[in-house]
Amino acid sequence: MARWGMVIDLDKCTGCQACTIACKEENNVPFGSPYENIRRLAPYWNKVIAASEGEYPSLNIEMIPMPCMHCDNPPCVQVCPAKATYLREDGIVVQNFRRCIGCKYCIAACPYGVRNHNYKEQEEHPYNRPDSPPDRSVIGPWPFPHRTHGVVEKCTFCFHRIDEGIKEGKRIGIDVVPACVEACPTEARVFGDLKDPNSHVSRLLATRGSFVLREKMGTRPKVHYLHK
Amino acid sequence: MPARKDRKTSKQAKEKSESLVVSRRAFLGVTAAAGVAIAAGHAIKRPSIASALAPQEPTEGVVTEKWVVTSCLNCPTRCATKVRVVNGRAVRIAENQLSKVSEGKLCPRSHVGLQVLYDPDRAKSPLKRTNPQKGKDVDPGWVPVSWDEALGEINRRLQGLRDRDEAHKLAVFCGLNSISNDDLIRRFAGAYGTPNIVTDDSLGNEAEKSGQWMADGNYVHSAYDLERTNYILSFGASVVESQKPLARNLRMWGKIRRERPNRAKVVVIDPRYSVTAAKADLWIPIKPGTDGALALAMANVIISEELYDANFVNNWTSGFDQYKELVLSQYAPERMAEITGVSADVIRRIAAEFAQTKPAIAWRGRGATCWPDGSYASFAIFCLNALVGSIDVPGGVIYQEYPSYREMPAIAEDRIAKAGKAKPSLGSNREGRVPVAGVSANQVADSILKGNPYPVEVAIGYNSNFNMLAPGSGRWDEAMAKLPFYVHVAPSITEMATFADIVLPACTFLEEWGYDHCPPGSGFAEMKIKQPAVERLYDSLSIADIIFGLAKRLGGAVAQSFDGTGDDAEGFVRYRTGTVMPWDEFRGQGVWVGAKYEFYKYDRVFKTPSKKFEFYSANMEAVLRSSDSTSCLPHYKEAKFLGDEKTYPLMLSTYAPLLDIENGNQNYPWAQEIYMVLHGQGWSNFVEMNSETAHGLGIKDGDMVWVESSFGKVKGKARVFQGIHPGVVAIANGQGHWACGRWAKGMGINPNSILGVDYDRLSGQSTFFNTRVKVYKA
Repeated sequence: MARWGMVIDLDKCTGCQACTIACKEENNVPFGSPYENIRRLAPYWNKVIAASEGEYPSLNIEMIPMPCMHCDNPPCVQVCPAKATYLREDGIVVQNFRRCIGCKYCIAACPYGVRNHNYKEQEEHPYNRPDSPPDRSVIGPWPFPHRTHGVVEKCTFCFHRIDEGIKEGKRIGIDVVPACVEACPTEARVFGDLKDPNSHVSRLLATRGSFVLREKMGTRPKVHYLHK
Repeated sequence: MPARKDRKTSKQAKEKSESLVVSRRAFLGVTAAAGVAIAAGHAIKRPSIASALAPQEPTEGVVTEKWVVTSCLNCPTRCATKVRVVNGRAVRIAENQLSKVSEGKLCPRSHVGLQVLYDPDRAKSPLKRTNPQKGKDVDPGWVPVSWDEALGEINRRLQGLRDRDEAHKLAVFCGLNSISNDDLIRRFAGAYGTPNIVTDDSLGNEAEKSGQWMADGNYVHSAYDLERTNYILSFGASVVESQKPLARNLRMWGKIRRERPNRAKVVVIDPRYSVTAAKADLWIPIKPGTDGALALAMANVIISEELYDANFVNNWTSGFDQYKELVLSQYAPERMAEITGVSADVIRRIAAEFAQTKPAIAWRGRGATCWPDGSYASFAIFCLNALVGSIDVPGGVIYQEYPSYREMPAIAEDRIAKAGKAKPSLGSNREGRVPVAGVSANQVADSILKGNPYPVEVAIGYNSNFNMLAPGSGRWDEAMAKLPFYVHVAPSITEMATFADIVLPACTFLEEWGYDHCPPGSGFAEMKIKQPAVERLYDSLSIADIIFGLAKRLGGAVAQSFDGTGDDAEGFVRYRTGTVMPWDEFRGQGVWVGAKYEFYKYDRVFKTPSKKFEFYSANMEAVLRSSDSTSCLPHYKEAKFLGDEKTYPLMLSTYAPLLDIENGNQNYPWAQEIYMVLHGQGWSNFVEMNSETAHGLGIKDGDMVWVESSFGKVKGKARVFQGIHPGVVAIANGQGHWACGRWAKGMGINPNSILGVDYDRLSGQSTFFNTRVKVYKA
């Protein structure tokens, strides 16, 4: 059984945010309003944050794309009272809209802030495609018929693409990748099987210095970052 | 967690939770789905998914899916794309792997194309103005009219001008259009008889071109072989944020920084810590307007330490002795350190590094060239490439190739057209300007206001928006209000459109036919198709069909000039690209890639009297016809600022963030909500200032502040930022709209509204960075 992970090269990443937009496009994630943006209520399944240090003229701003970390020891799974979020055998942390009761315990528990609560009805969202459910992958339809009000959602490593790709015998990480990985123009994002020593992700982790975010929290994220 | 009463045993509970790990389909009891249909229009049956909640959408029913190859037009790069269309709706923009310019890769703006297409605030039919008053806050009183009525009215006006032998009193404004539409717009203007084609490019890109022109006779945007370079010395050019072709720059960035043994070094010289500076190896903050001085100081080091490429300089350049004399006598690093604020040590070190890391490129951007002597700064920086032999070599400056479209027959030029085009064009204060420079866009506003050299009677704007983009944008509001009859042709009602008498709803680039090619950057030519991904929305019409329609109505020589060119949009594209690629192949593949780029074309690329690269510009000498030799050499002159230093102590700088959609509109939430990546904020722009400067003014991060020049003031939110020269205030472009739509209107501020009006002497382009301002708490 594979164990899916992602490697993001912070040297190659130029903070263009193609990943953020492509993810919204792929998963029909609604956009927010100026007010929601300030209050951090707008949903993002992938967000590029800027971390600044230093002072003029010697400063450094690091641009760090953050999808869901798909932790191996996920706090969100541990706290969910409805068992709506769970760690799949292949390592993807999945969100089941129908079991979710919207308590937001997982949002509080997630140290990365990558979970979003959907607090609007389908009709109230200014969706990019108001007439259709999140269902436009290259490979296979999205399993959930519509986005439910009152539940939590987050990045899924585009599991709809992966599952369909596996069924069709395609190579995951090469022929089939999540939308953010496909969209990245500098090819800073790589996806693949962490358990396969020959996969691109494994090779990058073996040959370059890498780190994970908030390692001390013990979440064991499967999104790794390569140093500049 | 309290044990649930309905769970019999913890073992059963464990089994139950483990069963959640099975596939979604098994859990939901879904039967195997039909495979994915790839062929056009192939109907697939979607699986029925048992649902605990009533679906808001029927999940049964026929689903059609097709992929259409086309190309983007959210910036001048015009990347090839593939659009996935489900049930007639475009749902995804993806790569076309056949494109080589960016190896198929796309920048984020291409995805925003979906929001450009489905913009709810688009014009839905031709509109006619009922309120004769024109102004910034004036309701035009649009009423929808038929195409027939709209085109009929326009034709009456156009015919009227020609009847009075006043064809030159038509002005044509061009924003970002496809190359095919641009070709048709120009052909129409030529056949009609007006010399007045006013483009976006001539607003801010001409100084870059004239700098190169002085050196090698090519009046073009410079192109660089980014893929093979080992050193990028950027003067105010944000390579991975705004330089075109952007998608190529992004792909090559990944390549030259991490995908090959030689990692390219990048040094960014910019008063602002741009995204490119953040990614570079070294950021050199420079005093605005002194890039030319810095370049000449570096030349001084390279020449005095004999680090220049003697082989290239001795065999393929002319005027080196005069250049050397000027540079050595006047541009010592120690003196230039005072002027630029860059220490002599750094100048010496970077100059030596640049000269000894081969191949290297000196890349100049608007930050260096949009100044009163921008052409000379451009010339000075461009010369650094020649000094180190980086001309038409792998990893150096290259000369863009283009597809050989079928040549159109000569236009049928009647007497009226000839007479019209012989008249002086607008913005015609061309004293001392290089003859090859186009109409100076920003001067046209003054031309219209003063009726000089003659009043403009009719204007047609194709996706233009000078009312937002031009410095001193308020003058455009006045000028457009004065114009007797203006037709705006674009998908949406932007600022310039609010002054229109008639709005013609044009198709977006996802609904129309066209051909496009890569702007300078790839070297090799690449032609991309534009074909409709979806049916035209609302009552829109493509620009090509509008022009064919207008030409037909005018009849006579104008109509004749369009005979045999295809008769309509699709026909025109097919006609013009027929010599490049068979039509069916082009429609199926979407891309034509030209021959591999050929380097070392020294016998062909220098369009100069000496047939060599000229440090001493003989082209310029021919224009000036004077013995002032400095004017033929790259040199630095201190920039004259607008506004006195005492009252206005800070310098205003503007820039285009990556998500600035360059079609004049910004009504796109995906771009708006993440607009400022370095600041982690969206839906606005900010007044970015250095923390010490802010502290001195008692301004804290987030305070509302006035930014005032001697021309006006705007109120915005302060962003106290470490990444900016203490003497500079930066405001991003692309915000401050007062039209366009619900997601752009009223967001942020437009810095162009307080910029003073000034021009680069040689090219006539506008200056953008020499306005002084003061900032104070609101």
